[in-house]
Amino acid sequence: MPAIDPHIGTQLVDLCSALLLLTCFAIVAQRRLSACVELFALQSGFLAATTALVAFLTGIHHLYLAAAMTVLIKGLVIPRILKKVIERLNVTRELQMNVNVPAGLLICGALVILAFFITQPIIPLGFLLTRDSLAIALAIVLIGFFTMIARKKAVTQVVGFLVMENGLFLGATAAAYGMPLIVELGVFFDVLVASLIVGIYTHRIQDAFDSLDTSQLTTLKE
Amino acid sequence: MMTLALLGLLACYTAGILLPPCLPGRPKAQNILANGSAIAASLFGILLGVTGLLASAPLNASLPSTLPLLAFAIRIDPLAAFFVLTISLAGLAVSVYALGYLAEFYGRSPIGLMGSLYNGFLLSMTLVIIADNGFFFLIVWELMSLVSYVLVVTEHENADVRYAGLFYLIMTHVGTAFIILTFLIFFQQTGSFSFEAFRHPEQPLAEGLRTLAFLAALIGFGVKAGIVPLHVWLPYAHPAAPSHVSALMSGVMIKTAIYALLRVYFDFLGGQFPWWWGFTILAVGAASALLGVMYALMEHDLKSLLAFHSVENIGIILLGIGAGMIFQTYGLPELAALGLLAGLYHTINHALFKALLFLGAGSLLYATHTRNMEEYGGLLRRMPWTGFCFLIGAVSIAALPPTNGFVSEWLVFQSLFLSFHLPAVFLKLMLPIAAAILALTSALALACFAKAFGLSFLALPRSAHARHAEEVPVAMRLGMGGLAAACAFLGLAPMVVVPLLDRVTGPLAGVSIEGRVLALDGWAVAPTNVEFSSISTPAIAVMLIALAGLGLLLAWIFGGRLKRRAYKTWGCGITLTPRMEYTATGFVQPIKRVFSTLYRPTVKLETEFLDESQYFAKRRRFEFHIEPVFQKYLYDPVVLFFSAAAGRLRIIQTGNLNLYLAYIFVTLILLLLTAV
Repeated sequence: MPAIDPHIGTQLVDLCSALLLLTCFAIVAQRRLSACVELFALQSGFLAATTALVAFLTGIHHLYLAAAMTVLIKGLVIPRILKKVIERLNVTRELQMNVNVPAGLLICGALVILAFFITQPIIPLGFLLTRDSLAIALAIVLIGFFTMIARKKAVTQVVGFLVMENGLFLGATAAAYGMPLIVELGVFFDVLVASLIVGIYTHRIQDAFDSLDTSQLTTLKE
Repeated sequence: MMTLALLGLLACYTAGILLPPCLPGRPKAQNILANGSAIAASLFGILLGVTGLLASAPLNASLPSTLPLLAFAIRIDPLAAFFVLTISLAGLAVSVYALGYLAEFYGRSPIGLMGSLYNGFLLSMTLVIIADNGFFFLIVWELMSLVSYVLVVTEHENADVRYAGLFYLIMTHVGTAFIILTFLIFFQQTGSFSFEAFRHPEQPLAEGLRTLAFLAALIGFGVKAGIVPLHVWLPYAHPAAPSHVSALMSGVMIKTAIYALLRVYFDFLGGQFPWWWGFTILAVGAASALLGVMYALMEHDLKSLLAFHSVENIGIILLGIGAGMIFQTYGLPELAALGLLAGLYHTINHALFKALLFLGAGSLLYATHTRNMEEYGGLLRRMPWTGFCFLIGAVSIAALPPTNGFVSEWLVFQSLFLSFHLPAVFLKLMLPIAAAILALTSALALACFAKAFGLSFLALPRSAHARHAEEVPVAMRLGMGGLAAACAFLGLAPMVVVPLLDRVTGPLAGVSIEGRVLALDGWAVAPTNVEFSSISTPAIAVMLIALAGLGLLLAWIFGGRLKRRAYKTWGCGITLTPRMEYTATGFVQPIKRVFSTLYRPTVKLETEFLDESQYFAKRRRFEFHIEPVFQKYLYDPVVLFFSAAAGRLRIIQTGNLNLYLAYIFVTLILLLLTAV
């Protein structure tokens, strides 16, 4: 066991989690697509830091590997794929939104409160030093989901999906000190493949509709 | 012996399923392989059925499965053995027939696939009969429905066929829903899907649950059986399938529902029920019999006509079973056994003559490429074998002595007339009324087959198709001939059939009545005693032959030497043409008038006059159709309601991805909030 006061450890984990949440807000407030992707990479960096911190504090070594994979796949590979997509399709700005930025930020604030409200009865039941992050993890999931609803461009929806995934990962770390290694590897692989497929499909949408605006897909309905 | 027969049957059907697709591009080899396997399997099935009927104890076998509650359990008791025998007898003849008939489909449809499905269809029907686990039963039941659906849509290029298939698929699944409900009621009580547990529950079912099980089973299996008003899919689906499959669907598949009803009522519910259960079955049977034959009369499509007759015959079978159930309620086991025996006798008879008639219709289709009777005519001279076999089938279904249809309908009559033994006055009245309806049904059936046979086979050909018809290949004649022989045998030899059937009804009603039904060393059938009523079909046959001989003899004595002079039929000096013949529409016109309240016919006569004068018609157009009452007033409103409801709900389906996500999001938030 490392020579750090568990109380301070909890504080550090909470700090990192809070930074994760902050990047979420930045993504919601951001109009430039490439900046969104960069913010996602940053968020993944914070997630890796949190995971490494938990690994250091608890001595569960396979979490180091998870942290390394996070940096590699979510911090480097996926952002690169998304940037390629943005470059090739020549979309730099999210021009239309379903919800504008100030309203979006307010709603996200409300979602954070909601997340804290929902997890309030659960958190005292836990005994892990990461337990307070659970509320933040839920808030990140909800904000990621909200991003998918609020934005019209396919790329931002992918970012929203990945943010949700980050939230879930944080939730797993917070609630159970991470998943078994084999599951974690599986999840990373899934996310990687999913983003590759999404990259292809955004090309397809672009080809078919001359736009990445998913509301164009309404023409597909019967 | 039974185990051997069972394994042989399973092996042959499996071979029939797996092997035909292994020979792609060789339709003839595929045909021989598929139907050869089916023939071998049917022979094993006949062996299994006979040994099962004669065996002293039922055969039980079970394979456990990895799924909970599911076991591949089978049980062959006399009831199951009887139905296996019925399926196999029909299956044998139909498979022989199919060897020739499938030539029609070479190059048009994948023969290998059809052969596989055909074997799968027969196998699934057999498994439905011998399954002894509710879960297993449902699986093979669904398999049977799906395989038959695929066979129905063999000629899916045709829009009508696709519609028929869809209709059938929907109806059969509605039925399955009710069957699942039935089994769930038993499951809830016993905690097991094993039929053994259903049979002997630790605690008997509550009265309300029993009633629910009764009704759910009646609806669920009634859809498959084609009882009125659930029969509407039948006249679409049965004609749409290739003829040999129609023969099996109409002759045999609907009988699996009769089997299941008997299984549920007499086995699971222990043969204990209030009087109105039997009365319901009786009423449904009477309605099915009468309406089935009345709609059959109006059909000019030969296969649709036969399909409607299946509704009629299911009604007759249910009349026997309903009477049996009523007698059972009032503690008259001997009469109950008689009613059931009559129903089962008609079951096997109908399987044989309906298969025969459908095969006959298939032969006409093979030879003329049309199903419309208005385009037949004069076929007896061109297709004597088919005509003769069809005639045997028609005589049997019209219940003329001494055929098998006559024996079983007569037994149904007798069991209905024995209602004077009942203590309840209402039922004392109702059973004879049912008998009267049955009498009307029989008369109409006779009219219907006079029409079907007369218009198809007699007089002059009405179309080029009929003029160029030729007799069908040997295999097809052989299949029909075998069934015709079986019909004659079952009619002339009730002394062989009744003891076998008695082994089925004995355990169900709890009493053996073989000695009571057979009189005069088995040469006569007498439901109560010889003095009251008895009948001997062999004697009738001998008398008919003797009378015919007598007539010839008298003609020879009094008329002198028979001289034959060939001359044209006298036609008032006009050359006779097919246009002067009685048409199918004309034939049924009187009946249509009499029952116009039911048929609600629409008649339209349009006349186009010459420009010069109002007194000379250039062209006349006669249009006539009857109203499909059940479809219009029972099914269409339901369909319309659901379409309208779906139309209303459609506004939430915008196609907008964000909105769909928002639906999920809101649901998630609400769920989270309620969880707190």
